[in-house]
Amino acid sequence: MLEFRDISFSFSGRRGNVEVLRNVSFACREDEIVAVIGPSGCGKSTLLSLATSLRKPSAGEVRIDGKVVKGPDPRLGMLFQQTTLLPWRSVVENVELGLEIRGEPKAARRQKAVSLMAQYGLGGFERKYPHALSGGMQKRAALAQTLAIEPTVLLLDEPFAALDAQTRVVIQNDVVKICRAGRRSMVIVTHDIAEALAMADRVVVLTRRPATVKEIYEVPFSREAASVADAPAMPGFADYYKRIWNALDISVTGMGAAA
Amino acid sequence: MSPTTLHHVLVNSGRLLVLAVILIGTELGVRYGVMSQLFFSSPSEIFGALQMQWAKGSFLPDLGITVFETMLGLVAGSLAGMAVGLILPQLRVVSNIIEPFLMVLNGIPVIVIAPLFILWLGLGLASKIGISIYIVFFAMFIPVYTASLRLDSTFVNALKVMGASRHQIFWKVVVPSSLPSVYTGLKIGSGLALIGAVIGEFVASRAGLGHMILYASGTLDTPSLYLGIITIAIFAAALSFAIDALGPVLVPYKFSDEK
Repeated sequence: MLEFRDISFSFSGRRGNVEVLRNVSFACREDEIVAVIGPSGCGKSTLLSLATSLRKPSAGEVRIDGKVVKGPDPRLGMLFQQTTLLPWRSVVENVELGLEIRGEPKAARRQKAVSLMAQYGLGGFERKYPHALSGGMQKRAALAQTLAIEPTVLLLDEPFAALDAQTRVVIQNDVVKICRAGRRSMVIVTHDIAEALAMADRVVVLTRRPATVKEIYEVPFSREAASVADAPAMPGFADYYKRIWNALDISVTGMGAAA
Repeated sequence: MSPTTLHHVLVNSGRLLVLAVILIGTELGVRYGVMSQLFFSSPSEIFGALQMQWAKGSFLPDLGITVFETMLGLVAGSLAGMAVGLILPQLRVVSNIIEPFLMVLNGIPVIVIAPLFILWLGLGLASKIGISIYIVFFAMFIPVYTASLRLDSTFVNALKVMGASRHQIFWKVVVPSSLPSVYTGLKIGSGLALIGAVIGEFVASRAGLGHMILYASGTLDTPSLYLGIITIAIFAAALSFAIDALGPVLVPYKFSDEK
């Protein structure tokens, strides 16, 4: 279980102190998928960098299974928005990178990486360089890299934004299945309401900066729909979409209204 | 014959033709007095100069000395430039302090600083190697340093989240991501290494191809002058060919063009 407890974060910028997060609290339980959504630039990605200790909170704490996070935690796996596959390593060498960092012997980590790749439809691409893979396959490889270290909590930072619409749904569906199969916790930061509704069990809506938790919605679609692709057709989906849109408080006046 | 093989045949026979025109043109031009023997030499005269220099026992030593100075300058200068370029960005304070000094040093034309090396290291090989190292150092240092400063922070963050130490990040990200710049540095440096060696020989020397050229010029021995120029041209071309062949070894992923 991953908990954010009374998290505040600010940094000193050129124009003085910038308050990004204010008293943000929520948790992601075992076998639960939580989506964090908020207006652009509200600091939702900052939350993940606090969980992974890339930044330190100004106040509050992040806990994993009740223990305060003090440094990079082996129970956390993160999937970034940009590709993090190292271009000079073959795909299999990328997948085993986390294990290599932990000092796992070469034969064991190679075996694990190869079997993970086969599992995620990347069999036969072991010796290729990442640039030879399609965007969807690169994402799968990055996912295999993240999962190779067997994290119990997965963090996803707008990971599918760069994929085309169809590939995105396929990968979203894979990620949900993988997460459920391992009874993992997953926090996905996104700006896409449909993505949040289709993948998550709960949706945390943040306000504009300084971001606080505005609303938390329990949504049934991810567990009840046969796949991510089927979720938008379920009764109530449009209703939730509208409620979250309103909670985000984004004005769509349009060019005509401004005139 | 396919269009591409036809193209290759045309290009290669065209090149042979250009070479033949130059060789036959100068041979006939000089022999029949159309071109002055003081300013031009025919291929047969240049070959005669080679036989003369060979018989004197000075051609191979002159060539060997210049090749040795160039190679040592290239290897030592590149290694030094690489080491400083990689390590300096890791030490931000030191790097900020000495950066302007390095940039001013780099701005000094090599011909201006060459006499100082002669003064320090004498008339022998050491001064030429020193000059060569000096210019190769900057050819390697600048691209590697710039690349290390602009290191992709996504890669670094991804490794940090996986629990990598500073040491691991240096060897698994900083060093491999500098290799394309090392390759660039080698390409520029290989030409400069030769320039450094020959400039050193021009300023003051007892042997080497630069010495041979300068001596031939002073004694109006035009064929030997051409012999020196042609020998240096062939060596420069061979060196550049060898460096190009290093590309697929240093940065194999840039040369694997499969998509």
